[in-house]
Amino acid sequence: MTPRARLIGIAAAACLVAILLFLPLGLNTYGLFILSMWAVMSIAAMGLNLTLGYAGQVSLAQGAFVGIGAYTAALLTINGYSLALAFAAAALLCFAVGWLLGYPALRVQHHYLAFVTLAFSTLAYLVFRNEEWLTKGIYGISGVPRPAALGIDLAKPLPFYYFCLAILAVVVVAVWWLVKSPWGRAFVAIRENPLRARSLGVNTSRYTLLAFAIGSGLGGIAGALYAPLVEFVDPSPFTLLLSLNLLMMVIVGGSGYFAGPLLGAIIAVLLPEWLRAIQSYYLILYALLVMAILMWSPTGILGIADAWLERRRSIARSRALAEKTPTLASGEDA
Amino acid sequence: MKFPRSGIRIAAVAGALLLAVAATSSHAQGTIKLINVNELSGAGATVGTNFKNGADLAVADINAKGGILGQKVEISHYDTQSNAGTARAQVQKALDENPYAILGPNFSGLVKATAPLVKNAGIAQVMGGEAGELTQMGMPSLFRTSFGQQSSMPKIAKYIADDVKAKSVAVIWVNNDFGKGGRDAIVKDFGARGVKVVADISTESGQADFSADVQKIKQAKPDAVFIYLNEEESARILREIKRQALNVPLLGETTLLSQKVIDLAGDAATGVKGHVGLTTDANIPLVQDFRKRFVAKYNYVPDHNGLKGYIAVYMIKAGTEKIGKVDRKGLSDALHGLSINAKAEPGVLMDVSIDKNGDIDRESFLGEVVNGKQVITKTLPKLNP
Repeated sequence: MTPRARLIGIAAAACLVAILLFLPLGLNTYGLFILSMWAVMSIAAMGLNLTLGYAGQVSLAQGAFVGIGAYTAALLTINGYSLALAFAAAALLCFAVGWLLGYPALRVQHHYLAFVTLAFSTLAYLVFRNEEWLTKGIYGISGVPRPAALGIDLAKPLPFYYFCLAILAVVVVAVWWLVKSPWGRAFVAIRENPLRARSLGVNTSRYTLLAFAIGSGLGGIAGALYAPLVEFVDPSPFTLLLSLNLLMMVIVGGSGYFAGPLLGAIIAVLLPEWLRAIQSYYLILYALLVMAILMWSPTGILGIADAWLERRRSIARSRALAEKTPTLASGEDA
Repeated sequence: MKFPRSGIRIAAVAGALLLAVAATSSHAQGTIKLINVNELSGAGATVGTNFKNGADLAVADINAKGGILGQKVEISHYDTQSNAGTARAQVQKALDENPYAILGPNFSGLVKATAPLVKNAGIAQVMGGEAGELTQMGMPSLFRTSFGQQSSMPKIAKYIADDVKAKSVAVIWVNNDFGKGGRDAIVKDFGARGVKVVADISTESGQADFSADVQKIKQAKPDAVFIYLNEEESARILREIKRQALNVPLLGETTLLSQKVIDLAGDAATGVKGHVGLTTDANIPLVQDFRKRFVAKYNYVPDHNGLKGYIAVYMIKAGTEKIGKVDRKGLSDALHGLSINAKAEPGVLMDVSIDKNGDIDRESFLGEVVNGKQVITKTLPKLNP
């Protein structure tokens, strides 16, 4: 990357951060709620992007992990435990369950793996709904508190939005570090060619399990934010539909691109809200737009940007090569 | 490094969408703004759409007659997608627009998720949820449009124990907040009346095959079967019961005796009995007139949720006229303890009283399916006449 492109990239990211920091000051409570929900879904989608986009393991269970995280946080905070403990418990529990769910991935791949994770997703929903002694069943858990964090009262929408944003920032930095670390490179190696990865000494079994576990852990963190955001947890949001929605966020944003889930979550969370102006047809138009994006670029929105940049680079390279290489005319002159 | 490289695009798209979220709408002065937050897509789409159409019809009727206290009524509809998170967002959006009152949701879980927000805003929420606990949560802003299950289930349990004289009963219910709420309420009441529940069968929403469930009921040998499912599933189980020749009294609450179930089940519905809280089949001139006008406008027969939406708007009208001015903070107080006479306010269709918890009381019916029609066999008086 040229220094100029890097500078433009950093400036654009800084603009986005500035928008996220200052735009909410002028938003009403509805806008703040939607942006907070975007942050929550971004975290869950980033987790799935690690599992699917980087490590290439198809998972239809991410919605279930958001549910496990949400129930863990709701049950702990409603019984007086701190939000920090709820986050730790949600992340660790989902990490452990995700690790176990990763074992089938060592035996089956692609759509077979998708079916295994789909079964897990259904199982988790049935546990949320039927184990009434723990989850209060179909009635759900109401009155989930928004406890204070670091001495800051999070009850009001604006502080809670900044809290969601702070957690998202921590996750972004952590995932950025992870994908640039040897672990991230091992994930990509497994995705591209497991046999070659193994021949280069990568413990593919361990890294496949890790990809599942870390992705699931991030789903748990998203769930731990969802519970105090909505202040109510019931089984209905955590059906297979949420897993499919998260999958769509990753694919539409750009699977395997670092910022893909952030963009995909904008499409999934904010776009339908924006389209509500057209009333009863909004979901139809939303579906058509998403289909159009994927037909135009199966690699997602960032795939479009990447292809455009690649074309520009290719033209620039050709031009540079042409300038260096003697032309036919100059050859004749010589 | 892909993040900064695509940063410009992300920032542009993100910026545009975020700014769009910031846009707020306004409404004209001198109108009464109602916002219906309801299930217009997802699992509750049928329920919410009926409620929406009923409410739209009421608003059109009221405006045609000069509005409420001379002010026109304006209604908007926000879709919860049958999801608690979205419902909360939409109620938040509605409250940001300072409406006079909120209508909906209909799913009890979504009512629970949204009621605290409306309570904090200090305005009335007239909803369609039927779970018993909704009016026991200490929400002075919350009002029902139909019986809660804590009111309707004792009536059918009493009928099964005293009139059908069943000593044992099988309960088959749909495992969502509607079905589970009804099941919990009636099982408790059966216990109090000494009726033994010999089979307690949970089914899924949208379930197609009931052969195994009916088999279980047959093995339990109950004196009667209480069926508490959605319309399509009710018709399917009635057909399966006929196919397996299970000959015991079949009883239900409102849905089982609805015309849609009767039409879908055909002969299999004959002889079904039960309690009917709110139905367009009731032989009441005002209800029949509502049904005729609804069918003329929307080209289908509404279920009881259409009635709920219609009555909800008229409850707000009656409350406002009681205060004598448009007072959004005073509406809840005006509705508590209000009795609305259908002669004075035909829009409520039947006399209705609202108690201090937001529960309603009105006449209801015992019915039976005869020759492909619901026949009302007895009118039950109000619980507190």
